[in-house]
Amino acid sequence: MTWREKDRWQRLFSTGAALSILLFSTGCERRQSALHPASVNAERIADLFWWMVGGGLIIWAVVMAIAFFATRAHPEAHGVRSARWLILGGGVAFPVVVLTGLLIYGLMLMPQLSSTADIDLEIDVAGEQWWWRVTYQTAAGEPVELANEIRLPVGQRALFRLTSPDVIHSFWIPPLGGKVDMIPGRTNTLVLEPTQTGTFRGACAEYCGSSHALMKFEVMVMEPDAFADWLNRQAQPAQPPQSESARQGQTAFLANGCGACHTVRGTEANGTLGPDLTHVGSRLSLGAGILPVDPEAFTRWIGHTGAIKPDVKMPSFGMLPEDQLPAMAQYLSELQ
Amino acid sequence: MNEQTDYRDPEEEALALAQAERLAKAWKTPKGWRYWSAVNNTEVGLWYTGVSFIFFLFAGVLALLIRAQLAVPENDLLSAETYNQVFTLHGSVMMFLFGVPMFEAFSILILPQMLGARDLPFPRLSAYGFWCFLIGGVFVSGSIFFGAAPQGGWFMYPPLSTSYSEGLGPDIWLLGLSFIEVSSLAAAVELIVGVLKTRPPGMRINLMPLYSWYILVVAGMILFAFPPLIAGDLLFEMERAFDWPFFDVSRGGDPLLWQHLFWIFGHPEVYIIFLPAVALVATIVPTAARRPIVGYSWIVLAAVGTGFISFGLWVHHMFTTGMPAVSLAFFSAASEAVAIPTGVQIFCFLATALAGRFVKSVPMLFVSGALAIFVLGGLTGVMVAIAPFDFQAHDTYFIVAHLHYVLIGGMLFPVIAGIYYFFPLITSKKLSDKLGKIGFWLMFIGFNVAFLPMHFTGLLGMPRRVYTYSADSGFGLLNMVSSIGAFVLAAGVAVLVWDVLRPKGKQPTCERNPWGAGTLEWLVEMPGRAWGVRSIPIIRSRYPLWDQPNLMRDVDAGRFYLPDAQEGKRETLISTIIDADPIQCLRVPGPTFKALWAAIFTGGLFIFATYKLYWLAIASGTLALITILIWLWRDTAIIPAKQTKDIGLGVTLPIYASGAKSVGWWAMFITMIGNMSAFNSLVFGYFFFWTVHDDFPPDNTPDLGFWPVAALVAILLSWALTLWARRLNNLDHASGYYAALGLGALLTVAGAYALWAGPHFAGMDPTSNVYPATVWVLVLWCLIHLGIGLIMQLYCLARRAAGRMTATHDIDIRNVALYWHFMAITLATTVAVIAGFPEVA
Amino acid sequence: MMDETQTRPEHAPEVPPGSRESLWLLVSGPTIWAAHFLLSYLAVSVWCAKVAGRAGPLGDIRIAIGVLTALALTGIALTGWGGWRRHRFGEATLPHDFDTPGDRHRFLGFSTFLLCGLSFVATVFVALSVVFIRSCE
Repeated sequence: MTWREKDRWQRLFSTGAALSILLFSTGCERRQSALHPASVNAERIADLFWWMVGGGLIIWAVVMAIAFFATRAHPEAHGVRSARWLILGGGVAFPVVVLTGLLIYGLMLMPQLSSTADIDLEIDVAGEQWWWRVTYQTAAGEPVELANEIRLPVGQRALFRLTSPDVIHSFWIPPLGGKVDMIPGRTNTLVLEPTQTGTFRGACAEYCGSSHALMKFEVMVMEPDAFADWLNRQAQPAQPPQSESARQGQTAFLANGCGACHTVRGTEANGTLGPDLTHVGSRLSLGAGILPVDPEAFTRWIGHTGAIKPDVKMPSFGMLPEDQLPAMAQYLSELQ
Repeated sequence: MNEQTDYRDPEEEALALAQAERLAKAWKTPKGWRYWSAVNNTEVGLWYTGVSFIFFLFAGVLALLIRAQLAVPENDLLSAETYNQVFTLHGSVMMFLFGVPMFEAFSILILPQMLGARDLPFPRLSAYGFWCFLIGGVFVSGSIFFGAAPQGGWFMYPPLSTSYSEGLGPDIWLLGLSFIEVSSLAAAVELIVGVLKTRPPGMRINLMPLYSWYILVVAGMILFAFPPLIAGDLLFEMERAFDWPFFDVSRGGDPLLWQHLFWIFGHPEVYIIFLPAVALVATIVPTAARRPIVGYSWIVLAAVGTGFISFGLWVHHMFTTGMPAVSLAFFSAASEAVAIPTGVQIFCFLATALAGRFVKSVPMLFVSGALAIFVLGGLTGVMVAIAPFDFQAHDTYFIVAHLHYVLIGGMLFPVIAGIYYFFPLITSKKLSDKLGKIGFWLMFIGFNVAFLPMHFTGLLGMPRRVYTYSADSGFGLLNMVSSIGAFVLAAGVAVLVWDVLRPKGKQPTCERNPWGAGTLEWLVEMPGRAWGVRSIPIIRSRYPLWDQPNLMRDVDAGRFYLPDAQEGKRETLISTIIDADPIQCLRVPGPTFKALWAAIFTGGLFIFATYKLYWLAIASGTLALITILIWLWRDTAIIPAKQTKDIGLGVTLPIYASGAKSVGWWAMFITMIGNMSAFNSLVFGYFFFWTVHDDFPPDNTPDLGFWPVAALVAILLSWALTLWARRLNNLDHASGYYAALGLGALLTVAGAYALWAGPHFAGMDPTSNVYPATVWVLVLWCLIHLGIGLIMQLYCLARRAAGRMTATHDIDIRNVALYWHFMAITLATTVAVIAGFPEVA
Repeated sequence: MMDETQTRPEHAPEVPPGSRESLWLLVSGPTIWAAHFLLSYLAVSVWCAKVAGRAGPLGDIRIAIGVLTALALTGIALTGWGGWRRHRFGEATLPHDFDTPGDRHRFLGFSTFLLCGLSFVATVFVALSVVFIRSCE
């Protein structure tokens, strides 16, 4: 039999080392990574994770070493008495002690994570198939609605009220904290307190139908002043189109009935089925985190919606006269 | 009979040969097309094992499709729709058509051998369960070839799978798998009674093979775990087919109720899959260590303890649903606690290996691999049981990695170890050591390459159940590595399949007890005989083949119990639960097609219902009922020509037993325990809605009037009359018996009417709101059971009239009376809930 | 086959007190755990849903669960002690694998004792929840 304990050890460690290098050398992965925490709670959880990984690996190695000793290194019979002590010590005493400690640590952490005290900011997020309706509650009173994008001031505690009008989704920004489900008929809460500025990415974590994979969003953590400016701008109605092409685009947008589902504040488009587009040109992504925001992407999206995002509710407008799509794309990109 | 059997004298030899001939004739496996009418555990168990392994290969191919799709970012090999069907079926088939059935199949195959029994007590029930499993499994799996497979995930969360799914996918899942759950329950009843009542004389509870301890625990778990899912399926299908709004928020429903019911089933199910695999390890390790297990009682502790605690874990699949932290904490605590018995088992195995002289073998190679994989999966399990960490890990590839470490290490590797270990027992040929080692290393390396990186993929932010991911996400390389590993793993499985299927005609029949094991199943002759054991031995040790001198010789020579079949009937011994004193010589039925027909008609009921062909479904269900009634009428509770039988060694046992002494009574009792746990789940649903709503029942709910109380009175009277009829039958007071039972049947009808009349005349519309729907579903449950109770009462009337039941031979009325105890509890609870609770709420 | 052949005790197998034995004693420890677990969970669910509200304190329910825990632990300890006494019956030592009523009696006792140990720890684990968490949030 070729039971090579050493080989396996080496393989494990080399794999682990390769993975670690992979993890920490490349930067682009951090945006959606729970291992690169950027909030108070995510840091606590990541610390907990690394401690558990360390402890777990040691336990695994010891168990393997015992197995190796008993079956390979010294397969001859040893005393039953020592075997019984092995059960008592390794199977009973050690696990009880370790598990008790770990459980107490976890229990002490839970109230900290679930506390909704001392809130600086409140945001309502509804998960819908397959995008995010985001509503900021402002001090001025009038809520500000946008979609598929969340911006947060660094160092402040933001309370999310999470709902869903259709199926169950789950709201998750890995670098900022754990996920919370969005369940029809319920309002769940989540508090995030970012500690670093930067751009992150969130995703739906609960399987929610055909395009579950394409339900993402961008998150930007900003300095509080910059955040206040941004929110102010978002509260304004849309800018009138500047270029000739954009004006044509606006006409086409309204003529083709886009306003039945989409709102562009300041125009007659006031539909609420789909995302609010008042400032869509200023956003960090299009189609719930799947396309960049530029005229080409808009053209592609409007023309091939269903091909890009299977079963999406918005129909594809590929049948429009070919000058209308670029015009609409221009109009939408100018909605800064 | 083997040549080496030595007899004391020619006279004994002549007798033994004549006995063996009669025994062989009684247990002969049918030939030709009639082969499929076989019901003996060796045939049914083999088919069952083979079919569930084929489902494993099918689900494995689906897994390869998943890995092919995810190998590179933005892949368009599979469409979103196809991918979602593929992963849904992969999970469903692995869990429902491989994980659980594989253990049932294995146990049906080897448990009687381990207990030195000739067969399980209800061979036809096993056959019925197998055919149900085959029909339902093919139906569910086949749907993907028509693009009609479910795509809601194996957990089928509403409202995605209720209001937001078109097509028949969810119905195929619900009805197809409910049908299979019936066969799991049938197997559970069979195995519990098998372990408790068919042990050989002398095999006291402290001498049972560890395997049977695990099977007892697991079958018991099935009784409490599967019924909540059946109840959930009922609610779900009522919503899909008839618009009863159990999970529809706009009419007061709540999708979380499904999650509770699903995971009350779903978490214990993981242990239902895992524990039998540990049972195999507990069988193989002592053989490899050449000594009895160290810590037998500790393993019993672990099996029973895990069985209990695994029911306190279900909410850890719901840690992110926004429940109060303190509720999560309870489940987090139980999830940590369950690690203790799991660790105990592992250390018992290590201790046994340490204390014994360890001998290497291919089965042990797979066990060692299982240990390395499972321990890691167990440790990540302890991690995700800590709720804060689960908030991050939940629904990511970290969990995919964790669950595959647990299930492949905790189930697949031990099962393959079991296949290598038990293959000679079934086919008298050993599998190849060389291929075994090649297969092992391919699987072991492939598995770790595939799944170890997934821990990182998940924590880097990749959610589960995504059909694609973008190139800039950074998941590409890790996924490519995983996909390569998956194909290496599949190559290892292919080697195993080849080893099993390759022609072995030239290979010599292997020697008896090839591994030098100590447990009874290795009494098997090479090549095997249909009778199982030549004579049923007296057991004095946990490892009788090691400790009892000449055991094999004496068994072969027919020197123990039941060496003969004078009447040409199939017989096995029934013994007491604790001390295994023989108390009955049970006649078990032989080959029949009735079980197959009953399964086909039962399948028709579920399959036609899936396509909303309700008249055909009802017709098929009626045929199933008639087939089962004919089966019961002709083949059960047969009054024997002579009352007792000499089973050898001067022991004479009754052939007929009723009440708590009979296996049928135990089967009814166990079935009804499972039935009650489904009913309790419905009651749980009622009170769940009460906690969710401020007004439950809603203010405008109409009063049910006196009807529910009238129903209760009628049914309690019917119950009392049934019990009285049992007594009158014992007194041989025929006219009194007919009068009491007849009146009881009439009261059953009256009670059923009254129960229906309450909500009906109050004008409660089940589609209007979840309250009337909940009341109606409880009423519906009772009506179905009252219907069954009525058929039982009429059946008992007919049995006595036909002379198939007498004052002393009263199995039927005793079992029916037992059913009615549970009926009375069900009805009293229902009336208290639907009529009583609104008064106090 | 075996390296340490065990011999039966010389004296006749002693008959344990109470000839009727069942598996119910074996499962009573875990059953108490299950009852404690379920009652605690239900109590807290109803409390948070109907009494305190989702942001409210656990308050008195913590004391109630404390009392329940004390009762459960007492029950488990008593059952476990009963098991231990059965295990110590007569003169034999582990592993209780002789084909005698005495060893069967001792085996059931020892297993009962072990299960009570596990149930005790598991009950304490569950009770720890209300030690560290004080609100319904």
